[in-house]
Formats: sequence, structure tokens, C-alpha cells
Amino acid sequence: MDNLMSEGLSLMVFGMGFVFVFLTLLVFATGIMSKLIAKVAPEAPVPAKSAPVVAVAAPAGDDELVAVMTAAVHQFRKD
Amino acid sequence: MDKLMDLWHASGVYNITGGQAFMILIGLLLLFLAIRKNFEPLLLVPIGFGGILANIPEAGLAMSAVENAIHLGGPEMLSNLAAALHISSTEPEALKHAYHLADSASHTAAVYAANDHGFNNGMLYNFYLVAIASGAAPLIIFMGVGAMTDFGPLLANPKTLFLGAAAQFGIFATIMGAVGLTTLGLMDFTIQDAAAIGIIGGADGPTAIYVASLLAPDLLGAIAVAAYSYMALVPLIQPPIMRALTTEAERKISMVQLRHVPKTEKIMFPIVLLILVALLLPDAAPLLGMFCFGNLMRECGVVDRLSDTAQNALINIVTIFLGLSVGSKLSADKFLDIQTLGILVLGVIAFGIGTACGVLMAKVMNKMAGGNAINPLIGSAGVSAVPMAARVSNKLGLESNSQNFLLMHAMGPNVAGVIGSAVAAGVMIKFVG
Repeated sequence: MDNLMSEGLSLMVFGMGFVFVFLTLLVFATGIMSKLIAKVAPEAPVPAKSAPVVAVAAPAGDDELVAVMTAAVHQFRKD
Repeated sequence: MDKLMDLWHASGVYNITGGQAFMILIGLLLLFLAIRKNFEPLLLVPIGFGGILANIPEAGLAMSAVENAIHLGGPEMLSNLAAALHISSTEPEALKHAYHLADSASHTAAVYAANDHGFNNGMLYNFYLVAIASGAAPLIIFMGVGAMTDFGPLLANPKTLFLGAAAQFGIFATIMGAVGLTTLGLMDFTIQDAAAIGIIGGADGPTAIYVASLLAPDLLGAIAVAAYSYMALVPLIQPPIMRALTTEAERKISMVQLRHVPKTEKIMFPIVLLILVALLLPDAAPLLGMFCFGNLMRECGVVDRLSDTAQNALINIVTIFLGLSVGSKLSADKFLDIQTLGILVLGVIAFGIGTACGVLMAKVMNKMAGGNAINPLIGSAGVSAVPMAARVSNKLGLESNSQNFLLMHAMGPNVAGVIGSAVAAGVMIKFVG
């Protein structure tokens, strides 16, 4: 019975210790990876800038569309 | 008249035992909780229904061919089985016992003897063999979970991995609880049983089923039901513990916006994790390997079709069979046992300790970071239960400060908890498997 207890205790100590060691290493590995990627392959900040461009372009497109449609309606009424 | 008597003797009403009737009621209770109370319905509906099916008298849906033969076969069948198993007694109990202990050769001989007499595995037993005994279903679900997981919040703040580690203490503390109960003579758990019960504290259904199927298949039904019930109860179990361990000022702490994580980092993370697993803990490779694979499919962006299947169609199909298979383990002779009660109690303790440790770890990290950087409420999300635990953190944060949205901050420890419990599972399989 005491044997079972000590088995449980060692499982707790080693198990918890290992989980911490593993995740600590993962923290470091992730940190190194993030730094490396930031250096080697920095992300081009294109998507952030392109968004406003689209936003501005959209109303312009709408104006054009309205113009075309108005013309088409006029054409239709004349006929 | 004889025909009428035959029909009566073959009916369920004539054959049902008290245990089966009780287990059918348990199955109905699970269905009620799932349908009316919305407790993890995706799993509890199949589990509850499977439990009812498994307890239909005389149908033997959850029994193997040999068990069916022992139960339904005549004297000739029993003596054939006794010969196959090399024992002299033809008592059903002795045969069952010998069948469980038999080596592969006599095991196979017994199966052939049963097949020769026209006895086959029950439907649910076949599902169990394919889905759980093979280890396939929990792993495929883990792949789907990987495909659904966004590691962005974790990558933006990798330190939250420590919270995912701390919350795993519930698992190991519960092992001590189970072992202690055995030492006191109240229960009878082996160290394998204790490990499988502890994993309930990981709050991760597929991991719990995977570990239980390897370490303690007899307890699988109770462990799976406990794990999924407590996951559904996260919003009830966690808040009192979180409130008790934090001050109002701590709950008000608002955290800085997370940085943007570039796509390359998200693609590389599952590969880094996989390499670390390969180097340090090959026993966790099945679980974390499938998890990383699923996540890579999601993030790489070139196999959207596969990723879509893994996180929708495939995981749904597997969930159906996994639920029915777990239900098949809810047969009266295996579930109605004092040990089940012990498992239910230990499971909720595991959950509570895990939550508390996560919160305490977050408090320590907050102190180390100057006292105003980390809201301790996100610590409780270190138990996996994605995304429920993170939502609970968010809700409590909003109660104290209505402008404080902790959801994304809590997702970091939440997915870290998935990794943490898979690592804990690997350690336990390594040590006691």
C-alpha cells in the first residue's frame, strides 16, 4: 500500500516537473522562432495599407455604377 | 401456448435486471441533460443513447462474441469455451474471468468457438473496437481540434503557456487522491486507474478517453462521462473558485492589446511543437502529432479542403461513433460500482484544483510583471475545455469591469492547456503504461 502511495507521489513530482520543463522549453522555442521569423522573413505591411484604398475606391465605383444605370434607364425610356 | 411462453421468455420485461433498468434511467438522464439543459449535447446525446442500447436485455449489443456465447449459449457451448480456454469449470463467471485473462492464442480459440456456434460481437462492441480500442477516434478528434485551434493569442503572448502548465496540477493531485483512497481501503484503484482518473482534471474529452483506453479500459465509461459532464459544468464549477482566489482590484486589471501574429509564425508553430515532442516525449506523439497535423492543415492555407473536412464532416462522424462506443461502456455490470462514485468525486476535485492552480499561477506572474499586467482571471482558462473556460474568464472580467474583454487573452492559456494536458497524458503513459 505504501508502495502505491510512493508510486503516486513520484508520478506527481516527475509528471508535473516534466510538464513544466516541456512548456518552458516551448516558451523559449516559440520566442526564438518569432524573433527569427521577424528577422528573416518580416511580413510586408501591405494588407494594412490596402484596406483604406479599397474603402475609398468603393464609393467611386458606386458613383460610376449609378451613372451607368441612369444612362441605361434614360436609354430605355427614350426607346 | 408454448409459443406464447417462448415469446414471453424472450421479452425484455422478463429478462431485465435491476441494474439494466437503472442504467437505462441513467441513459435517459444523460439525454435529458443534453436536450433540455444543453450540456455538451454533441457528446451526451450519442453517449446517453448508446448507454440505453447497451442495456437492452438479451440484445447483447455491447458484448463481445464470447460474452454473448457465455450468456446465451447452452451447456455444449459452455464446455466448448472451457476447452478453448483450458479450464475445467463451465460456470459463466469462471469462463468470463478466464476469457479476460487469456493469452492471445486461447482468446482467439474462444472467439472461434463462439463464432462456430453463430455468436457474434454486438454492434456497439464492434464500434468500440474500431473507434476506441484501436485508439483511432480520440486521435482523429484531436486532429479536428487542432484544425479548429488558432494559436495566434498564444504566439502573441507565449508566457501564457505557464498557465496551461500550472492548471495541469489538478491531474497529478487527483492521482494522489485516488491512491490515497486506495491506501485507506475505501476504493481499489491501481496506479494505472489513478492516472486515468486524474486526466479528467485536464478537462479534455479526447485526451481522457485516449488515456483511459490505454491505462484503464474498465473505467472508460465512468471517466468519459465524468470528463464530458464536468466540461459542461465549467461555467458552474469555475467562477466560485476564481472569485475566492482573486481580489476585486485584480479582476479589474485590463490587459494590453495582443500584437499581430504573422502568418509564417502560425505555420511554423505546429512544426516547432512537433519537433519538441519528437525530441523529448515520443509517448505524447500520437496525441500532439495529430493535433499539430490538424493545425498545420489549417494554417498553411493550401489544403483548405482537408482542413474543412477535419474540423467539420470528419469530426462529426467520429463523434457519433465515439459517443456510441463510450455509451457501450455504460453497461450495468461495469458502471454500477462504488468506484464510479469515487471517479465522479475525484474528477470534480481534479477540476477544482486545476482551476485554482491556474489562477494562482496567473497571480504570481502578475506580481512578477509589476502587478498590473496580467489579469489572474485568465489563469483558470489553463484547464483545456476550449473555448468554454476562456468564455468564463471573459464573463467574470466583464462583471468587474464592463470595458474589459479578456476573451482573446484567455484563449492563450486555453490552448496552452490542451498542449499541457496532452503532455501530461504522454508522461503518464510513459510512466505507468
